Amino acid sequence: MINHMLTRRSALAVGGALLASPRIRRASAAATQITVADNGGPVGASFRDAFYDPFEKATGIKVVNITQNVDPVAAFRVMVETGSYTTDVALLTPGFVYRLTHPTNYLEALDLTPAQLPGMIPQMVTPNFMGTDVWTTVFAYRTDKFAQAGPESWADFWNVDKFPGRRGLYRSPGTNLEIALMADGVPYDKVYPLDVERAFASLDRIKPHIDVWWTSGAQSTQLLQSGEVDLLSIWSARAQVDIDGGTPARIVWNQNIASVDGWSIPKGSPRADISRQFVKFCAGAAQQAAYTTVMKNGPTNVDAYNAIPPERGRLLPTFPDNRRSMLLYDNEWWGANYAAIKQRFDAWLLA
Amino acid sequence: MNKSFLLLFFKKEGLASFLRRPDPLWLAVPGLIFLALFFIYPVLKLLIISFQDPLSAAFSLAAYRRVFGATVYLGVLRTTFWMALQTTLWCLVLGYPLAYWLTCLKPRRRGRLILLVMLPFWTSALVKAFGWLVLLARYGLVAKLLALVSPGGRAPELLHGRGAVLMGMVHTMLPLAVLTMLPVMLQIDRTLPRAAETLGASGAQGFWRVFFHLSVPGITAAGLLVFIASLGFFITPALLGGPHETMIGQVILEQIQSVLDWQFGGALSAMLVVSAFAVSIAYDRLFGLSALSVSSTRQTQRGWLRRIGLSLLEAVAYVSTLLTEGLAFLLRGHRFGWLLGTYCVLLIGFLLIPTLLILPMAFTSGPFLEFPPPGLGLRWMAVYFGSPVWMAATWRSFGVAFVASLVTTLIAGTAAIAVVRSPNRWGRGVFTLFLAPMIVPSIVTAVGLFYLFAKLSLVATDLGLVIGHTVLALPLSFVALVAVLRGHDWGLDQAAATLGANRLRVMRFVTLPLVKGGLLAALLFAFIASFEELTVAIFISGGLKTTLPKQMWDDIVFAVNPTLAAASVVVLAVVGTLFLVAERLRK
Repeated sequence: MINHMLTRRSALAVGGALLASPRIRRASAAATQITVADNGGPVGASFRDAFYDPFEKATGIKVVNITQNVDPVAAFRVMVETGSYTTDVALLTPGFVYRLTHPTNYLEALDLTPAQLPGMIPQMVTPNFMGTDVWTTVFAYRTDKFAQAGPESWADFWNVDKFPGRRGLYRSPGTNLEIALMADGVPYDKVYPLDVERAFASLDRIKPHIDVWWTSGAQSTQLLQSGEVDLLSIWSARAQVDIDGGTPARIVWNQNIASVDGWSIPKGSPRADISRQFVKFCAGAAQQAAYTTVMKNGPTNVDAYNAIPPERGRLLPTFPDNRRSMLLYDNEWWGANYAAIKQRFDAWLLA
Repeated sequence: MNKSFLLLFFKKEGLASFLRRPDPLWLAVPGLIFLALFFIYPVLKLLIISFQDPLSAAFSLAAYRRVFGATVYLGVLRTTFWMALQTTLWCLVLGYPLAYWLTCLKPRRRGRLILLVMLPFWTSALVKAFGWLVLLARYGLVAKLLALVSPGGRAPELLHGRGAVLMGMVHTMLPLAVLTMLPVMLQIDRTLPRAAETLGASGAQGFWRVFFHLSVPGITAAGLLVFIASLGFFITPALLGGPHETMIGQVILEQIQSVLDWQFGGALSAMLVVSAFAVSIAYDRLFGLSALSVSSTRQTQRGWLRRIGLSLLEAVAYVSTLLTEGLAFLLRGHRFGWLLGTYCVLLIGFLLIPTLLILPMAFTSGPFLEFPPPGLGLRWMAVYFGSPVWMAATWRSFGVAFVASLVTTLIAGTAAIAVVRSPNRWGRGVFTLFLAPMIVPSIVTAVGLFYLFAKLSLVATDLGLVIGHTVLALPLSFVALVAVLRGHDWGLDQAAATLGANRLRVMRFVTLPLVKGGLLAALLFAFIASFEELTVAIFISGGLKTTLPKQMWDDIVFAVNPTLAAASVVVLAVVGTLFLVAERLRK
């Protein structure tokens, strides 16, 4: 689509581009520095300690990190098409990778073989993407509300008679359809391909009991911390922030839905080789163990757990116990179906 | 005077008349070109895209079929208009007495209170929303107080409903309403109601038939501005409301940011733009928008629609007169003068609540945004000032705001001179055009610019941010400068010119020194507008060029901790200081 826009540039637009061209940061010839786009906030800070600073120390190549858009796909495409490589390595999700490789490929091959990545969970690496950390959707509940025998599964979450209380869910079809199917009795490893009709039928049952449809990570943290809701779906790391801050809450790992963040390199990047070196560096067990000190996401390299104290390891998504009934979010399925289901979900929510 | 000096004088006179010959309206041309390139073109382009198939660019109504085919989007549209209308009515009803009360005060005191009214307006919408979330939470302060007085010890549900969103929107828009009504009220000759009383009118009649009547242009202008601005809300309904409070701004943001569906986003934007314009035109026909122009020449155009509008207002005034007089009759002997003051103080208190909550939350020692904070400390201030990301965003905001305010003032200033000085009949059209960015909801402008800038490689550049902020700041700056220049005594310029000064010298030694205060005030207001702007920043900053409000927005998605409050305290301090300076300069 963007290609198409470019060919139809009006004279006006070209004039503006000429006017603006000095502002574009051109790639510098000497690759003594790479620019990495991450999600900012605590992610950027922990990656600085775990990846950027050690890489600088090991290679002498400076790593500058910037914060990218919540959805970076559009900016990424524009960057590749105009050849103004403002980013050398970007933190993406498989969903973004899918959109950046279909129908046109915007990503550089990483050229990583399993032999080069000891300890790496196999599903975490594709030809143009290497997972760095796993984050997962769980549910959490207030232990001051459910003192004994709290809910243990999504079916329990749906059981409003046995577990009365205010509930919250994420306001997005992604993960909610999976949750609804598991609540309806579908085993976690049989969820895909999603039975959309059955999922919405299951959602119909819980809808009257959802008090808050949260829209941002910050909001979910706040909802649990203030006791605005008694149980809610939430990203595990966000619930852990509450628990670390003294909120009486518990994370239920059973049937969690995991996704992964990871590195990709824009196609045609003049610093692709150094960027590949950086990506490989981030797969190391020591590096992966390091970022868990701040951010409670799971390493993709299970060897990292050798270097992580068990009391911290238990809080992470890829800890063996937590992975027992973990469902991996299917980005390809969603990539093909998202737009239509999103519209149906919105309509359903407002009905 | 010797001969050679006289010769020089005549030469200069010749030059001056040459310089004076072109119509001053030409001065508006740079501004018009700027608006054509960065406002009219991108918005039109967005509307055109909505009629095009994304692949073949052929004419297609698919996006509109989607809008009208699924009841969900029609429902969202209905909600948006209903919420905007309610917000407008509440703002006018609540704000009018406050504006009236402010006009009765001494200028010094008024200036200070205006600052208090405006502070929440300049507080980030995010921060205010989180302030309300904390305050109105299930176990929050208000719920605890209500539980004490309610019979079952149970507080009603305060958040995640229409009431909460409406309150949040009214809270955000009230300052705008008050500040739009205020100048019109200040222009009203206060001896007129008294004259009416000496002629036998009661106090209430004197107020309603004279003062209220004269203040109507202010009310209508405030109503329109609040209504249009309310159409584009997306943060407040997302955080304070539930699914049933979804407004169209949220859907547009989602369509562009996560689905990148330009056609559908464009169609939704088109609905917003078309309805905003339709409302503006209907409004202009019904009530007239002369207050927006702060013009001294009242319109005398009298269409039948206008007559309906006026009689509508007459009816309101008549009913109010009856009510107040009836009340006065019933309560004969009691004096209720203090009631207005008390009400206004309470209302200003309401306006200040979330802002005041932020202060202790920024200095909390705990890890969360909570009120009351568990303890006080400088922990989060240290995080803010120690973080290169937050500092970079802060400096960028200063830089962008500095340049944007200069550009805005330059463009708005020359255009204002053009409109004020030109006798040309096109002046009115130019005037309307410069106000247009205020009539188009800013989210539409931002999306249009995002599309244009993506093609020009201006996304994620400081220049892109400057342009976007300039477009949004132009109308208010222009209106302010037109008011300043209308108040300027141009006879002085003529006097200087007859004494031999040419255009430039008149400008430099007469006009500029006299309007300097107003000019600087406009500059500072443009600075503030850019400094706290979020909508354009969300789309244009591209993550690389993050401004302070955008950084706060990103922070909400990935983390929420009191750094947000610390940052907003900094924004408040900057904005508050500038506001005080601007107020002082205006005098």
